[in-house]
Amino acid sequence: MFKDLDPILHSQLRLAVMSLLISVKEAEFTFLREKTNSTAGNLSVQIQKLKDAGYIDVIKQFKDNYPQTICRITKPGIRAFEGYVANLQSYLGKG
Amino acid sequence: MSQPEKELTEKESLDLIAMMINKAKDSYHDTGIGAMMWGTIITICALVRLSEIHFGYRLPFDIYWLTILAIVPQVYISIKEKKERKVKSYDDIYMDYLWLGFGISIFLMIFIINAIFRVWEPVSAEYAQLSGQAAAFKFREFIAPLFLLLYGMPTFVTGAACKFKPMLWGGLLCWACCLVTIFTTIKIDLLLTAFSAVFAWLIPGIIMERDYRRAKKELADTHV
Repeated sequence: MFKDLDPILHSQLRLAVMSLLISVKEAEFTFLREKTNSTAGNLSVQIQKLKDAGYIDVIKQFKDNYPQTICRITKPGIRAFEGYVANLQSYLGKG
Repeated sequence: MSQPEKELTEKESLDLIAMMINKAKDSYHDTGIGAMMWGTIITICALVRLSEIHFGYRLPFDIYWLTILAIVPQVYISIKEKKERKVKSYDDIYMDYLWLGFGISIFLMIFIINAIFRVWEPVSAEYAQLSGQAAAFKFREFIAPLFLLLYGMPTFVTGAACKFKPMLWGGLLCWACCLVTIFTTIKIDLLLTAFSAVFAWLIPGIIMERDYRRAKKELADTHV
């Protein structure tokens, strides 16, 4: 019996963001935008959804008088990501 | 990825995850400035000390004080690099502690060596006075291997952890030179210390700096 894939993660941009954040301790918004080739507006919306799900922490601060947004994956986010990958693998393995 | 979200297949999802993890890994680029600076300073110190011994002169100050002075630009470089970095990896923290531990070990080693000298030199002088010949054991001949032993550790670990072969080989070279210098005279010891500093730090630093510039240029080109 296949488990449903997490709808929060099963989206191109949100999955890309989570895959970047799982590999690092924390990353700036600009780094995520560069690596995902997304627009600031779209990325902001998707980051907010990940934040609302409790998968990432978003820290807003100032650096050299400029606003800076830092994103960091949370423990529930790591668990969700690992579960999502395990489900994907079971789909591909049995499918 | 600015286009509307499309439904991902399972295979596409796994491919996307792998691609993004690789992109994240490729984003760490050390500027190499610190490695170049320390490689140059240790090489200069070792070669100047070698020339002092070979040509029989003495500078009015100990050339190794340069290493203390270099801490100031090192702190500045570290802070500047951290500020500029848009991403913080887990490795960064371990590397910071590793090199901080190395710095502390070096200063403790200098302290220990000076303490041994203070005890050994009067004994050696007394022996020379009583026997009419210099003591066969010369402690200064064994200082270089101790430092090369320490130089090898963080260099090797950094090279292995960051999968950066020039530093990994540089660390191994430090340990090879450590073994050799046990059996060589102080002049050869200093020459091998300079040689190790060039291959463990200066050359890897130059390679890192080149890679950093290339990565920065590639990033700039993609955002024109």
